[in-house]
Amino acid sequence: MQYRDLVRKAVWSAIYLLFILAPLFALLAGNLPPARNFGTEFSVALGYSGLAMMGLQFGLTARFRHVTEPWGEDVIYHFHRRVSLLAVSLVVLHPLILIAIRSEALALPDSIWDIPWGARFAVLSIASLIVLVVTALWRKQLKIRYELWHLSHIVLALTAIAAGMLHMVGWGFYLVDPLKRALWIGMTIFWIGLLLYVRLFKPLFMLRRPYRVAEVCAERGDTTTLVMRPEGHAGFRFKPGQFGWLTLWASPFRITGHPFSFSSSAEAADGRVEMTIRNLGDFTSAVKAVKVGQRVYLDGPYGAFTIGNPTDMHVLIAGGIGITPMMSMIRTLADRGDTRPLVLLYGSKDLESLTFREELDTLKARLDLKIVYVLSQAPDGWTGETGRITAEVFKRHLPPAYADHEYFICGPDVMMDAIETALGEMKVPLARYHSERYSFV
Amino acid sequence: MRRLLADRLVIATGVIVVVLALVFAFVRVASSQA
Repeated sequence: MQYRDLVRKAVWSAIYLLFILAPLFALLAGNLPPARNFGTEFSVALGYSGLAMMGLQFGLTARFRHVTEPWGEDVIYHFHRRVSLLAVSLVVLHPLILIAIRSEALALPDSIWDIPWGARFAVLSIASLIVLVVTALWRKQLKIRYELWHLSHIVLALTAIAAGMLHMVGWGFYLVDPLKRALWIGMTIFWIGLLLYVRLFKPLFMLRRPYRVAEVCAERGDTTTLVMRPEGHAGFRFKPGQFGWLTLWASPFRITGHPFSFSSSAEAADGRVEMTIRNLGDFTSAVKAVKVGQRVYLDGPYGAFTIGNPTDMHVLIAGGIGITPMMSMIRTLADRGDTRPLVLLYGSKDLESLTFREELDTLKARLDLKIVYVLSQAPDGWTGETGRITAEVFKRHLPPAYADHEYFICGPDVMMDAIETALGEMKVPLARYHSERYSFV
Repeated sequence: MRRLLADRLVIATGVIVVVLALVFAFVRVASSQA
């Protein structure tokens, strides 16, 4: 399985590079205009590659299951954010190099009205990219509402790419050749098609496969479970630990869906799925107001975070509402009569916020399951673990062949960073970690 | 750790793209002078 994933990662990385570089090198085919100096040609190559990279950003967030599966959706989104900085740097370097080498291409005309359209589109493209990156990096500091930011993010990305393409076509040079022009215009249509796939095609599919809320259950820790059943279709099968995008109170065409792990057993009958959502003060505060019978839309399943080798001890490490994918794993293994050894390390603020506590204690009878609660605000008389989940907690509760177990981690970023560091110090190989960050959007 | 892998992939992508952009420029200039 790991070898297969490695091959899939290598193949998708190669395809990604091919989509960036092949259209650039295609410019070298056929009849060519006389070359300019080295600096100009280098800067032009950076501009073309940067634009191709920006276009492929739509592909990274298009939720293609085959692409995201080997990496995990959270890693893909992390890559999407980081590589955008690279793409913007390449695009910005293009004019900066031309300025540095005092290229004649940048000579300003006498009147602003004489500036060629190709140059105006270049300015529009770069300005859109800069605003896009600034608003993405500092959305919270700028106090931009998520939904508004998401819409502006798409509009800015489309503007940057369309203006970039018009700059290339307007400037001519390589794209004077009709075949090369057709290739790059085709590439732009392909990139925009990726956006249409996720914003038009997928919502259309979801519209025909709605779900209905069958139950709304209040859980410990200001948390609500929505039990949903497919309406007029069979639903989908998911692996325990995976997640879906939930659209509440709106049509699936609404710009913003929210990712939540499934908390129910993957063996549940009739396509029933459950999502357990904690009130985090944002839109999640309204989830408890959802009415039974309400129509909702689900896009899924996604994610590479799921149970591993049946002979290995599974160590499930949950922080707060990070318990939901673990709950799906535990419920599924119980339904399957699976006897693999399980250790659940569950960190939370206090006893009251331990979502699913009673059910977990009951499930111990059906599984080889050991549960360790770690409370940061333990009540008087608490004899269990306190503070945070650390390497010391691992050592007290796990059999010492630490590198032989499989570790599943889900919780706040700070907790996950600390645990990943602790596992590294305990010489647990990277291949033994499975993690999903639920704050990836 | 998994995000570290993604960070490394971004760096590798950057290095490959910049090197091949240099190759592109070199090929263009060299073939024009030939």
